[in-house]
Amino acid sequence: MARDWQPDFEQLVDEHQSMVFSLALRMTGDRGLAEEIAQDVFLELDGHMDQIESPRHACFWLRRVAMSRSTDALRRQRVRGMDLWVEIEENHGARPEEKSSPLGARLEGLLATLPEPQRAALVLRYQEDLTPEEIAVTLDAPLATVKSHLQRGLKLLRAKATCHLREYIRGA
Amino acid sequence: MEPESIDDFENELRQALERRPAPPGLKHRLMERRSGRRTQQPRGHAVLWQRLAASVALACALGGGLAWRHQQERRQGEAARQQVLTALRVTSHALNKVSERLASHGRDDQE
Repeated sequence: MARDWQPDFEQLVDEHQSMVFSLALRMTGDRGLAEEIAQDVFLELDGHMDQIESPRHACFWLRRVAMSRSTDALRRQRVRGMDLWVEIEENHGARPEEKSSPLGARLEGLLATLPEPQRAALVLRYQEDLTPEEIAVTLDAPLATVKSHLQRGLKLLRAKATCHLREYIRGA
Repeated sequence: MEPESIDDFENELRQALERRPAPPGLKHRLMERRSGRRTQQPRGHAVLWQRLAASVALACALGGGLAWRHQQERRQGEAARQQVLTALRVTSHALNKVSERLASHGRDDQE
């Protein structure tokens, strides 16, 4: 059966490079590695173009593979004994012109200290605005697990924010 | 500035986690890698076939060498066998002569 929609690789890169890069950056905390992951994800997409059925499917596929490749990269770095998030915690992860508000930067830094599954769930929830059901499908995880990661992650982040941001306000 | 309720907090988080723009030149570098990979793919196939051909040639050379060595050993074995048979024939002939002489001496003694 012929498809109405024919994927255009360059157009997909234009549309989704920011999303893929941001997901990889927030998961790894390393700009260089995030760009490398983003390139690998798009090259993988290039090899699977015949399987992409719609723009929505392309977006879903890219999110899923970006999260998966980021997790793989973190695992590889852990094996090598490196902690990439030290970088973003010291606020070197963002270029000066891209830095968000001071509070936003602090929250982003605190997010980096969360356990990886909770961070993944929160990034997909608040960066990509996905529902828990969509996150479960993207991460290939049970819905109950995703809901638990979201609740615990948010609670932990809130607790950290309450503690750290008080210090921040006092210091400001 | 401290978030007051969970909704405010979630809103702050949503703002903090807005998508970042991709690094300038990411698409350009990606397209270069893509075109490089595409030109490498046929080269990759050629290398694969070359490796396969080299493996077959190596296997043939090894097989031929083993067969030749086996043939040589058989020939050497055959030559050794012929030499032993010749030596046995010579010995047998000499023993027959000795036996004949002994027999003729025995007859002479009896007469």
